[in-house]
Amino acid sequence: MSSSSSDVLLPVDSSIKPPVFLHLGDTEPLSGVCVLDVTLPFGKTVNVEEISFKNHYTASVSVRLLMMGPPSQWVTAVRDLPLMENPHTEGGSQDYCCIHRTQMQVDPDHVISVRLILKQPSSTWRSFSLEDIRILPHKQQDPEKEVSDWLSDLTLADQHTDLEGLPPPQSVSSSLQQMFALTEVMMQSNETTASIGRFHVDGCYDINLLSLL
Amino acid sequence: MADKEKRRSGAAPLGMPDGKATKSDCDKEFLSQAGVGELLRGAILKMVEARSDDPIGFLADHFCNLASVTEPGTAGCGDADQMNNGPQSAQEQQHLNRALWHLRLAHHSQRSAFSNNVCVAYDLLNSTGPRRRAADVPECPEGSCNDSQAEVGGGVRGGLYTQTLQCLCSEGGVPASTSAPLLRRLHCQDHEAVPYDVFRHGVLTCAVFSDYIRQAQRLYAEVCCPDEGPASRALGMAVLGTLREALETSQGSEANCCVNANTTSNSCLEANVKAKRYLEASAKISPYKLGQAMATAQTRGPGGDMDAKEFENAAAELFITRVKVLS
Repeated sequence: MSSSSSDVLLPVDSSIKPPVFLHLGDTEPLSGVCVLDVTLPFGKTVNVEEISFKNHYTASVSVRLLMMGPPSQWVTAVRDLPLMENPHTEGGSQDYCCIHRTQMQVDPDHVISVRLILKQPSSTWRSFSLEDIRILPHKQQDPEKEVSDWLSDLTLADQHTDLEGLPPPQSVSSSLQQMFALTEVMMQSNETTASIGRFHVDGCYDINLLSLL
Repeated sequence: MADKEKRRSGAAPLGMPDGKATKSDCDKEFLSQAGVGELLRGAILKMVEARSDDPIGFLADHFCNLASVTEPGTAGCGDADQMNNGPQSAQEQQHLNRALWHLRLAHHSQRSAFSNNVCVAYDLLNSTGPRRRAADVPECPEGSCNDSQAEVGGGVRGGLYTQTLQCLCSEGGVPASTSAPLLRRLHCQDHEAVPYDVFRHGVLTCAVFSDYIRQAQRLYAEVCCPDEGPASRALGMAVLGTLREALETSQGSEANCCVNANTTSNSCLEANVKAKRYLEASAKISPYKLGQAMATAQTRGPGGDMDAKEFENAAAELFITRVKVLS
């Protein structure tokens, strides 16, 4: 966990699979649509703050997210965001872009995987892609709050009260801990005891009370 | 004579005349007939378990006990007269002493050794009854618990059991007045037959209680700063108060715990809840919290002194209220 004093957000460690160019049947391989999958570290979901990348002749991009939670499903976060004003010209072809979570149609929380769909309808640019794709995580409250709450209560080492004339708390505490442990041992033994099979009600064997059993 | 003796002690080598070979076989036979191997092995095993500081004294006690078992007619009165009422016979007293000796061998924290000893002690006390057979050697712990149940009628006599608990407490250094409330919860009537589970629980509780009281006495010594006389009441109550809070927290009700969103099954949930409770309980007796409690007590607590006896009784009460009443 990086401390709150650092302003630099480290991108999530992700691996980018090679782009898959889609095409219909056996027709020309260049259909102008390409899919890039960004896999996030295994076993952890990410709350996405923003996705940044460098464009390389992609006209528009759509972002699809695989959200966690039974059932996991793909949702569209960004649909056809234009990166180049005119797909045939150079404008915007090598820009650095960034998609913030506020620009997305859904809240990108608990994301398992990110899929970028690149479109370049112009025949001018035969190859197109996105480079240097980074996914920055959203800094929310500490997910391990449960444990850190308890521990923060326990580790108040810096504060010490005035202990003049008092017995040393360390040795008193260790005696108390032993007594606590001994009592716990006894109580565990309590749970596994058979009964001796008495039939009295509150110590009394009066026959009128036996009907209460 | 000397060379004959030398040859007798070794194993018979090949080519020795038959006469000499028979002599060492005789020795071996004699030893195996007497069962000396078993005897010594049993003694050594017991010694390893007990690890007493005085090995010779321990072995002497051990063989003494064995001798009194196998010796016929040691009891003052006939076996048939050993019924519930009447003064305890010398035989019963002897069994009680031996059972206590076994129970003293291992500390209750050494679980397996302690359990073995409890088993042996139970068999000893169980076999004190009208149908006891003098040929029994109840020294081996394996399986004997089940065997002796079949022989004698189903349990240790209640009075004998209560006596065992009393002796355990007093030997552990607990004054009779302190242990009385505990024994009221654990004792059995003379007409009741105590099964093994109950016996074990009672013995374990008394052993743990003696440790607990000794610890409480040490705690009082720490709290009171001996040269200044008895401890202040506020301080003593504060210290015991933190222990009480810790015990109550660790036994807290289910309703107080919140559901941890990360758990996937009931057992995980329970384990989480338990762990959380233990952490909270132990935080209450941490040195920091104690320091706070003591400082608060010093300034705002009730006045007056608390002597050792009162402190011990208050500590004992914390323990005893949590002992399940036998029913």
